[in-house]
Amino acid sequence: MTDLRVGIGSLKLKNPVMTASGTAGYGAELAEFFDPSLLGALVMKGISLEPWQGNPPPRITETPCGMINSIGLQNVGLEMFLREKLPFARQWDVPVIANILGTSADEYVRLAAELDGAGVEGIELNVSCPNIKKGGISFGRDMAVFARLVGAVRKTVKSAALIVKLTPDAPVAEFARAAEESGADAVSLINSIPAMAIDVNTRRPLVKNVIGGLSGPAVKPIAVRMVYQASRAVRVPVIGMGGITEGRDAVEFMLAGAHAVAVGTAIFSDPMAPLKILDGIRAYMENHGIKRVSAITGSVRT
Amino acid sequence: MKSASSDTSSILSRAAVKSNIKLNASNFILGLVPERALPGPRPGQFFMFGIDSRKDPLLRRPFCYFRKEDGAIQILYRVVGRVTTLMTGLRAGETVEILGPLGNGYPDFLGSKAEEAGNGKGKTPLVIAGGVGLASVYPLLAGLDGRAHLFYGERTGASLLLVDELRRLSGQVTLATEDGSAGFKGTAAEAAKVFLKGRDKKDFTLYACGPNGMLKAASALGVDGYIASEEKMACGVGVCLGCAVKTAGGFKRACKDGPVFKIGEALFD
Repeated sequence: MTDLRVGIGSLKLKNPVMTASGTAGYGAELAEFFDPSLLGALVMKGISLEPWQGNPPPRITETPCGMINSIGLQNVGLEMFLREKLPFARQWDVPVIANILGTSADEYVRLAAELDGAGVEGIELNVSCPNIKKGGISFGRDMAVFARLVGAVRKTVKSAALIVKLTPDAPVAEFARAAEESGADAVSLINSIPAMAIDVNTRRPLVKNVIGGLSGPAVKPIAVRMVYQASRAVRVPVIGMGGITEGRDAVEFMLAGAHAVAVGTAIFSDPMAPLKILDGIRAYMENHGIKRVSAITGSVRT
Repeated sequence: MKSASSDTSSILSRAAVKSNIKLNASNFILGLVPERALPGPRPGQFFMFGIDSRKDPLLRRPFCYFRKEDGAIQILYRVVGRVTTLMTGLRAGETVEILGPLGNGYPDFLGSKAEEAGNGKGKTPLVIAGGVGLASVYPLLAGLDGRAHLFYGERTGASLLLVDELRRLSGQVTLATEDGSAGFKGTAAEAAKVFLKGRDKKDFTLYACGPNGMLKAASALGVDGYIASEEKMACGVGVCLGCAVKTAGGFKRACKDGPVFKIGEALFD
């Protein structure tokens, strides 16, 4: 019998497979395909204080073994999330991790306070948003701003596990360490990688926003490397993601140091992907005589 | 041990290729027999289609339901990129993956709900198809019992598809070509505009599918009805938010909130 349980701070997960924010909505659409209770955790689409419209189309384009998106963090806003989306997700026996977006530290703090009070099990900070007060530089790329943000949210969050999602657009070990020192219970990585693709016939960028975020199997080796570096820089758990499409990909992230993994773009190709990946992890454990999934974490032989 | 991923979904299926018929250099009809029965489909709905489980191409592609024939679900596709090029190589007996039917089709256009849909017996259905948008409105024509007036446009006469069949299925067919090599010189929406001149627009219900420029022109004809939008999709099931359609109420999803929208709801720049 395999033991798939993992702990992420105060979060007790029945298995290490969660959804990546922005790839599973607020759960309802995926529930048409499988019972979300089977997941380790449900990570919700990012939430801002007010609803965000997102970017004009085209918003997506496929690239070799990957895709670029410029959705623009479209979301229903905090009020609708608390009134409809969160209560709906409570029908499933699965920890809910809210992902929060702000354009100022104050917005993050207010979001975190409301969501912590509403009883979400985890709060994930998306620090890739433009910091309006800092002239649009993302919170995730300015070390001092980043550490202050994490520290401020830490003071607010009393019961939920605080997860900081790192941007791949900055030195990952340093930011992971800063997140830990500022009180994060875990770090998650990687967010999509800034990228661009051009239609050579029309000479137009393939997403209207010009630059978008690259995800999918194309980014996986980069993500594995960053998870490896981050996990060696911190003691808090690491949640790994980036192009996981099958069980062995998830195992690879865990070998590199991840305690849990998130499935993102693979859901777009196949809504059943998270469960197939979980099956693959279980099969790997059985084949290798591994009883506890946590024993895989960080066991790469270097 | 029971697999956690035992498939509970009723719309995900592997399917056998039954036929892959070449209509002309760039248009094909692919016939698929799902391994298990799928519900529907209704005119205007679509399927996410994947050649296999490889990582490249990564994403499934949306194709609207074209028709059922000899126990096969058929999709009409135009070769425009890498996936559709690969599709031309599919042979009978090969296995592919389909997810669907998905999305909201055209509303009921016959029977009791027809009145609610603003398409009572007194109204003549005007159907406008631009290019391969024909695939979306084709199953409507059969359901409309030969009452429809079809306006079908292509760049050039040689590209027009299935014209004899369309004449059988429709009360009236107006062909339009941008180069004037067949029928009306101009777009299908322009042909419809000429037709409507001097007629009472309340006597018609419009159904249109084609490129966004055409949908914009069709929406501006002043006739009530429906358009089916075409947008790039990653998931087709409502989670990626890739297929954004601009509406007065913000961006909506072509896959889940559409692809069929009431005229005036979807806004085109």
